[in-house]
Amino acid sequence: MNLALFFQQVVNGLAIGSVYAIFALGYTLIFSILGIINFAHSAIFTLGAYFTYALMGARFGFNGLLAQTALPFGLPFPLAVLGGGLLAGGMGVLVERAAFRPLRNRGADPLLMLVSSLGVAVALVNIIQYLVGAEAYSYPNALAGLPPSINLGVGGVPLIMRTVLVVIFIISMLILFALMRLMNHTKAGKALQAVAEDPVTASLLGINTDRLILLTFFISGFLGGIAGTLVGLSVTITGPYFGITFGLRGLAVLVLGGLGSIPGAVVGGLAIGIVEALVPPDLSGYKDAVAFAILLIVLFFRPQGLLGRTFIQKV
Amino acid sequence: MNALLQVDGLTRRFGGLIAVNNVSFEVATGEIFGLIGPNGAGKTTLFNLITGLTPPSSGHLRYKGADITAAKPHQIAARGIARTFQNIRLFSGLSALDNIRIAQHVHTHTGILAGVLRTPAARREEQAVRERALELLRLVHLEQRADEAVGGFSYGDQRRLEIARALALAPELLLLDEPGAGMNTNEKAALSDFIRHIREQFNLTIVLIEHHVPLVMGLCDRIAVLNFGELIALGSPAQVQNDPAVIEAYLGE
Repeated sequence: MNLALFFQQVVNGLAIGSVYAIFALGYTLIFSILGIINFAHSAIFTLGAYFTYALMGARFGFNGLLAQTALPFGLPFPLAVLGGGLLAGGMGVLVERAAFRPLRNRGADPLLMLVSSLGVAVALVNIIQYLVGAEAYSYPNALAGLPPSINLGVGGVPLIMRTVLVVIFIISMLILFALMRLMNHTKAGKALQAVAEDPVTASLLGINTDRLILLTFFISGFLGGIAGTLVGLSVTITGPYFGITFGLRGLAVLVLGGLGSIPGAVVGGLAIGIVEALVPPDLSGYKDAVAFAILLIVLFFRPQGLLGRTFIQKV
Repeated sequence: MNALLQVDGLTRRFGGLIAVNNVSFEVATGEIFGLIGPNGAGKTTLFNLITGLTPPSSGHLRYKGADITAAKPHQIAARGIARTFQNIRLFSGLSALDNIRIAQHVHTHTGILAGVLRTPAARREEQAVRERALELLRLVHLEQRADEAVGGFSYGDQRRLEIARALALAPELLLLDEPGAGMNTNEKAALSDFIRHIREQFNLTIVLIEHHVPLVMGLCDRIAVLNFGELIALGSPAQVQNDPAVIEAYLGE
């Protein structure tokens, strides 16, 4: 691999890795306050991709209850992405009310919430299939008007990137920036850190923990929905199981970066993105294997992940 | 008497154990009210009841005349009741400044979107919150360590920071759970002065759980004595000190 190609692959990896990061952050936020992995997140990722598709006014295929239907209006892609994210956030809120809060209020073991979220994931995937069938969808003319590739090279050295990856990278970075602002400069962000540390004390300082947990599920769903749309834009929406393989990768990012660590999810996402991009084309079928092998090696030396805290207090 | 807090027939059972049994008293605005009793007498449970962490089995709580018996902890905090803990509960992974800022947020107005966009109003409020937090850190002599994670602070520093954090809620009623625990005699004397000082500066009413008898006697206007969940004496330090029931509870039969 020559140097120019190497750089090109690194940049490609950064673009995909940034999506991994925002997807994994959805897991991270919920893990940091509830101490559990929300398996429904991968289904919300899938839903977000479909929401955006529908909001663009695109017609569904030949199978399912919604076959050959479309919304009477179509939003331009940037607005549809935002709308898809917001709807996915709303789904996150529903999931918390249906699958998490009832168990939490009864003081159930966190493991039960994890199983419950797995149930929600399966149910959502099946509902999607019932509504729109198992076929693949791609966004119609999402980036119309933009050239298929952009040369980011300097000084005569070409660095050709697919436009879609540039768009994905920009959107992901905007989302990451907004999330950073949210965590550091809003009362919700500070409250989230407080609840993650000690929900009882946080409530005694005037923080409504139930409302904050709802907000966290909304943000998590929003991130998942945007990530789903961006991956759907890059490849296609491959069907109702779209999010499941991707969900595994999100978990790998979560663990690699360190459970519950926000910077960890970003670093882990970018790292896995780059590593995957550097897998030579003739071995591309082994991308997942390489990513998970790296995860195992890192965990061997740092069981708490790259930026995670050592396991001590969390229940 | 102008009662800030009214505790009326408050009872809490845990299974067969009655942790707090039909306790009634009133705390007047501006006083320092001591709560003493042997270990396991129900003092901390009483604090948990007042702050909404534990719902009472029966009885009522009124704060400034309003019934807060069924209110949630965050609602009670927003009404102006703050507390500290016997075993300090700071957010140990966060900085001293953040610990205090979090407690101020009950009184801020910036929404999420304005915060993310950092509108001028949001920036102004953020700056005001920061300045007030630094002021409170100065009060407990920790302003130099504002950005350090508090997990590494000494025991005494953590105790004082926890009080500063409670003050950040801008409370009218402050509940202190064994603020002098683990302190030597000199530190306890300084603590007494500090508690009197903050009562004056912030117009506080203070309820305080403490084992150290000289500290309680010297500091409190009135004292309630609990034993096995029951209120066995209530009055001035001198009255309580000479009460036969109190002497018996402390010295045994």
